[in-house]
Amino acid sequence: MLRTTLAGLRMHKARLVTTALAIALGVMFVSGTLVFSDTLKAGFSTKMMGSADDFAAVAVPEADEGAPADPEAPLPSLPAGALEKVRDLPEVAAAGGMTRGDAPLLDKDGRSVGAMPTIGMSLGDGTRFQPTEGALPDGSGEVALATTSADATGYGVGDTVTVLDSEGDRHEFTVSGLVDFGVDGELAYRGVVAFDEDTARAMTGAEGYSEIDAAAAEGVTDAEVVGAVEDAVGPGADVETGTAYGEQLAKNAGADTQVLTVGLMLFALISVFVAAIVIYNTFAILVAQRQREMALLRCVGSARGQVFRSVLTEALVVGLIASALGIAAGVAAGWAGFAFGGEALGADTSQPLVVGVLPVVVGMTVGTVMALGAALLPAWRATRVPPLAALRTSATAQGLEKGIGWVRITIGAVLFLISGGIVFVATNVGVGATGMILTTVAGLICFVGVVVLSPLLVRAVVAAVSPVMRRVGVASMLAADNSRRSPKRAATAMIALTVGATLITGYAVVNASLKTTMDEMLAEQFPADYLVSAPMDEPDAVVPQESVDALEESDATGTVIEQRQTYTGGDEATGDLPVSTYIGGTLGGDLKNDAVSGALSGMGPGKVAVSEGYAGDREAGDMLPVATEDGVKEYEIAAVLEDGGTLWGATLAPEDFEKAFPSIEGSSEILVNGAEGASAQQVRDAVYDAVADAPTVGVSSMAEMKAQFDDVLNIAFLAIAAMLGLAIIIAVFGIANTMALSVLERTRESAMLRALGLARGQLRRMLSIEAVVLCLIGAGVGILLGVVFGWAAGTSAMPSMVFTLPVAQIAVFIGVAVAAGLLASVLPGRKAAGQSITGALASE
Amino acid sequence: MSQTAAVAAPDHSTQAPPVVIARSLSKVYGAGDSAVRALDGVSVEFARGHFTAIMGPSGSGKSTLMHCLAGLDTASSGTVHLGRTDITRLNDRQLTQLRRDRIGFIFQSFNLLPMLTAEQNILLPAQIAKRKVDRERFERLIDVVGLRDRLDHLPSKLSGGQQQRVAVARALLGAPEVVYADEPTGNLDSRSGAGVLSFLRDSARDMGQTVVMVTHDPVAASYADRVIFLRDGRLVDEVHAPTAETVSDRLLKLES
Repeated sequence: MLRTTLAGLRMHKARLVTTALAIALGVMFVSGTLVFSDTLKAGFSTKMMGSADDFAAVAVPEADEGAPADPEAPLPSLPAGALEKVRDLPEVAAAGGMTRGDAPLLDKDGRSVGAMPTIGMSLGDGTRFQPTEGALPDGSGEVALATTSADATGYGVGDTVTVLDSEGDRHEFTVSGLVDFGVDGELAYRGVVAFDEDTARAMTGAEGYSEIDAAAAEGVTDAEVVGAVEDAVGPGADVETGTAYGEQLAKNAGADTQVLTVGLMLFALISVFVAAIVIYNTFAILVAQRQREMALLRCVGSARGQVFRSVLTEALVVGLIASALGIAAGVAAGWAGFAFGGEALGADTSQPLVVGVLPVVVGMTVGTVMALGAALLPAWRATRVPPLAALRTSATAQGLEKGIGWVRITIGAVLFLISGGIVFVATNVGVGATGMILTTVAGLICFVGVVVLSPLLVRAVVAAVSPVMRRVGVASMLAADNSRRSPKRAATAMIALTVGATLITGYAVVNASLKTTMDEMLAEQFPADYLVSAPMDEPDAVVPQESVDALEESDATGTVIEQRQTYTGGDEATGDLPVSTYIGGTLGGDLKNDAVSGALSGMGPGKVAVSEGYAGDREAGDMLPVATEDGVKEYEIAAVLEDGGTLWGATLAPEDFEKAFPSIEGSSEILVNGAEGASAQQVRDAVYDAVADAPTVGVSSMAEMKAQFDDVLNIAFLAIAAMLGLAIIIAVFGIANTMALSVLERTRESAMLRALGLARGQLRRMLSIEAVVLCLIGAGVGILLGVVFGWAAGTSAMPSMVFTLPVAQIAVFIGVAVAAGLLASVLPGRKAAGQSITGALASE
Repeated sequence: MSQTAAVAAPDHSTQAPPVVIARSLSKVYGAGDSAVRALDGVSVEFARGHFTAIMGPSGSGKSTLMHCLAGLDTASSGTVHLGRTDITRLNDRQLTQLRRDRIGFIFQSFNLLPMLTAEQNILLPAQIAKRKVDRERFERLIDVVGLRDRLDHLPSKLSGGQQQRVAVARALLGAPEVVYADEPTGNLDSRSGAGVLSFLRDSARDMGQTVVMVTHDPVAASYADRVIFLRDGRLVDEVHAPTAETVSDRLLKLES
């Protein structure tokens, strides 16, 4: 029996190639992800270990576990004399220290980089870090930049950069080299400017050391060095061996890898699921086509069990071979992923590929189990073939598929109703995680409903469009009729595509809605073209008056609104009440905010607008007490404002604010709108000129923020689309396979059509249209489901979400579906058209 | 019935002009030692309005001859003329065009499209050729073949005889210059077969339809005006106004 199965496999090689490809692609994704993440983890470790492992001991200030990080407090440090003491230890051969403070780096516009000042660090003798490019800074004229800072500003080795010292004075340096500081979140976020130790102290004013690394003298163990250093540095220091410290760092980096792996695995599973659908369909069709073969086996004495096992053996062999191929491809994909993505993630790309046992075992298991599982039902069906079927003429050429009816409709309808009910609950009740989970469950139930109904759906859709298709031409007429002849088969092929289309459309809807929502929120909270704000790290900082004057005087700027703000005693529940006033702008005009009661237009002297969270139970017309510098005063509430808008806390009229808080003279924020007729560049120049002397003043522009935000969303969309792309490719393989098997089955029919005068091109076109129709239905159903569940997921997670239909993206998906159909029909079409008429007519 | 058919068949083979002319037609499969001569210098003519049967033992080349005559297969040497067209010189596109407009086919296993109704199957060639359907001819044909009340049935709901009558109507609707029938009664019981054969004979006699039929059944051949016999790829004999007996006799002689 086994020999028969294997001989059959060899004969039907071509029929199983696409199936094997589908399995291989799914396995490739799984084992590729594992190889990639293992290598990435190893890449992080080598880097971390490489940097710390060479040192016997690493001393860092003891972290105050539990206490909340206070950004105002100075960083804890090791005492200034500690390095000398460590160096003097007999157990220590050499030691290096690092200092750490603020050293704002200016970008090419002369603005300080980022919202937080860049970290100023010393990299002196015996440092852990080595430059990836150029050299470490040597002397007072040189700095090294973190690779992240270099990327953010565009500076490279040899460029001149400006760095502010602790007094805010500018100093120019030449970039001597770039240093990769790895995965430390804070270093990556703030960026690093590295000096030699003396320059670092002069620039940042930092005292003491943030880290001391010591190398062991000959014949001294790491543990002895750790003990000696602990004694030398004294209390308040955490001293570990370099190996332990490196392992700790690597572990932190590994945690990030874990998240990435889980994410990738999720997409890999989707691909595997789609591949399973494809395999199921292939085996179902093959078993149907080989009814006579199965019956013949039964005729010559095979038991049902043997027929069952022969189909499963076939699946097993295909699964094993395809999994092995998939693993090989996965190792290659993992390597490619690491080579191209590893550096961006901050890993050491010189790390050789790590191929453990796990990716191989998991890949083989996933591929083989998937193939076997998908072939179970077809194999069982094969055993139902009566031996007599061998004597019948052509079993496959028997009329149209029957047996889809009311049971299906009822089950489908019930599932839809349940799903709809859950969506209703999720979007109206559950907000946050519960809502998301409910939506996911509803999506799965609905999907099962679609699967159950899909044969009817295919039939109905084709029936609906076939009058048009009949009119177009004979090729599309035949295609319309062909699409209807085995709706179950067509539906399964289509469902594979629907999975990908649903997910990708769902995400596109969430993405587009998020974009619109964020744009609206930005526009509401950010009612100006530019926002000039006082440095973030000082609570009482103001925008210098010269800058404000310059902004007001410039011809390029239109309205310039100064916001003055202070915090005054509120109650326990709400904390300090922020009190603001806006000079130069009208409330309700330049500055809008939806009101819960009253209206902003009613504002004036003696009145106050207060946001809902600080209003307590008060309404417009009530009095609000405000603790002013001159004692508590009461103001009449003109409007209670919705939270999350432009205005926050209490807003007073300028004259009232001046009387209430005479000590607040500077503006914490300036809202600037361009003058009418001024170009975007002119406005930008005017704003940047006005603040040129105050580099730490933050400048953000509505347009740039929007662009940055859109960038992030677009990148996320592209990444997810790429991940789902593989599932779609597998589905297209499935459709191609279904087409190819149908073509085989219709060999005689195609020959007859050719004999009747159908040209080769028309035959090919017929198959193309058939495949395109199939893909369009699959994608259409997916798009529909995606839109509904994208909306549901978005609404349940974020009730204020503004639903947006990503029309352009959906148009692209439809285009892709058409292209996929055309692609899927290329080979089957060639085969059908290349068939010799007489040969095909003679064959039974 | 075969007796009357033989008597009634008019013998006008010499007067009517030939529609299909094959000259020194050869077909060789394979090359070298394994080469098989399926056709070996066959020259034959088929007159307009004649019903001709091609007979011969298995492997005599009768199907190959028909395929070459119909432009479904290419001859190794020799020519085939359909009217004034030398079809051995046509390329694939021109052959497709030729089959569309000038040739009709009837196959042994009916070869109807399972998803099209009887009417749609009959109209299919016209649709492929984007030809206007001659409604009058269509109505007459379906009355003659007796399919009027079965027009909207799918093939799976029709009996074998009915299916083959659909196929015959499909072949004749476009009034092709010649209809080729490959064992048209091979899959039919004798009663259905007789119906199809008399219809083919009548269409030749009444509508002037040229019909060429490949068969191995002497009874089927007896419906024809003329029977030609092939053996080993060569034309070996010919009988005009055949009866089942004469055909059987000749066949037996060929076999021995």
